[in-house]
Amino acid sequence: MIEILSVTGPASIQDLGRFDQYRFGVGTSGAMDDVALRAGNIMLGNDENAAAVEIPMMPFRLRFDRNIAFALTGAAVEAEIAGRAIPPWWRSYARAGDILNIKAMSHGARSYLAVSGGIDVPMVMGSRSTQFRGEFGGLHGRPLQAGDILPCAASTAVFGELGIEPAGITLARTNDAADETIVRVIVAGEYEAFDATAQDLFWSSSWTITPQSNRYGYRLQGPAVKPKAPVEKRSHGIVPGVIQIPPNGQPIIQMRDAQTSGGYPKIATVIGADLWRVGQARLGGKLRFEQSAYTDALAAEGEMSAYLDRLRANMRLVEEARTCR
Amino acid sequence: MPIETTDIARLAQILENSGVDTIEIEESGLTLKLVVDTRLRTAASASRAAATAPAADHFVMAKADVAGHFRAAHPWQDKPFVAPGQRIEAGATLGLVKIGLLYAPVVAPTAGVVDAVIAETGAMVGYGTPIVRILPLAPGNPLN
Repeated sequence: MIEILSVTGPASIQDLGRFDQYRFGVGTSGAMDDVALRAGNIMLGNDENAAAVEIPMMPFRLRFDRNIAFALTGAAVEAEIAGRAIPPWWRSYARAGDILNIKAMSHGARSYLAVSGGIDVPMVMGSRSTQFRGEFGGLHGRPLQAGDILPCAASTAVFGELGIEPAGITLARTNDAADETIVRVIVAGEYEAFDATAQDLFWSSSWTITPQSNRYGYRLQGPAVKPKAPVEKRSHGIVPGVIQIPPNGQPIIQMRDAQTSGGYPKIATVIGADLWRVGQARLGGKLRFEQSAYTDALAAEGEMSAYLDRLRANMRLVEEARTCR
Repeated sequence: MPIETTDIARLAQILENSGVDTIEIEESGLTLKLVVDTRLRTAASASRAAATAPAADHFVMAKADVAGHFRAAHPWQDKPFVAPGQRIEAGATLGLVKIGLLYAPVVAPTAGVVDAVIAETGAMVGYGTPIVRILPLAPGNPLN
């Protein structure tokens, strides 16, 4: 078990998401950075859908009540286990009573703590993800707070310390700037409702991520992008990644906790392979949109899968070497 | 439970301190034999007799235990894991060896003070390549 000692922001338990309830209006939830969640689970030999703790703000402290292997992935954080520093994207080992102290986050927006065997909260409608709006899943459907006890699945696996190359390094894009995340998008249903000037503003602007951004959505700030004539649509199905333009002309990117329907015109959609980059973009940071085609989106998906395949293959080799030794 | 590199270092230390030359451990599917070079012991005990403070010929090497490319710092961190003069604990991570997408830690075999980081970032290292030279702390005689 894990005891939460101190928590700063809305930390939550997330797996890859709840995918089979969409038709009933139940959104996916799930890790904002699914690549980091998978990587942490791969390092521990877990099912890649095993639940982990998503930690959006520091400091965060917890105590392990038994010997257990864990992995920290996602944002670059400054962390210590029993006083020993651990680098980013690292697998380590706690002894009963050890305290994990995550002190600061130098870049990225969300850190993931995966444990050997996974966080063992009950499965609700096919997922362990916390659904804040519906107040179910995760631990009692709410953000974690000090004093919470997280059950961990039993695991006897023993691992040594090891790190992996962060996805942000392997999948870095050549045009990435220091504080600007370039996100590939595909134009969406109502793109043609905007004239050339408005479309150009959308592509050429550097969008600031406002403090009104969270797991539900990212609200951006920049020049007003307005349609030729006001667009009022009936609510229709939307998915994480959809970029809507509300009447004020300031884009909203729907994220993992998005509602399943909405009526604002959709100008574009973030490709699946770049959604984790948005999840790791910080409040106050900048986003820029790069127009992408369906085939580019598939190629990007391929690069992401290739990274995860290499991780799995590399980890298998390590475990084989260990058992042969 | 498998025998870790740090366990081997600890066993070697015990052998050196106890005056035993050889130890053999057998577990299912695993045999470990450690032999201490007695010439080193003669030199070591001579210098131990001469001074209680750590002596220069008492250096311990932290070595790579896999083949790959050495990195003194994590690519996301500006500061190297250790710098000369830094006090370290046994088991501390001193650097990384990158193999494919994996980062294997170079681990301190003993507590002490970092004397020099010998390997250069980017250099190819192999099993047993010296990475960091450590001046061990004499037991009961800490530096501070």
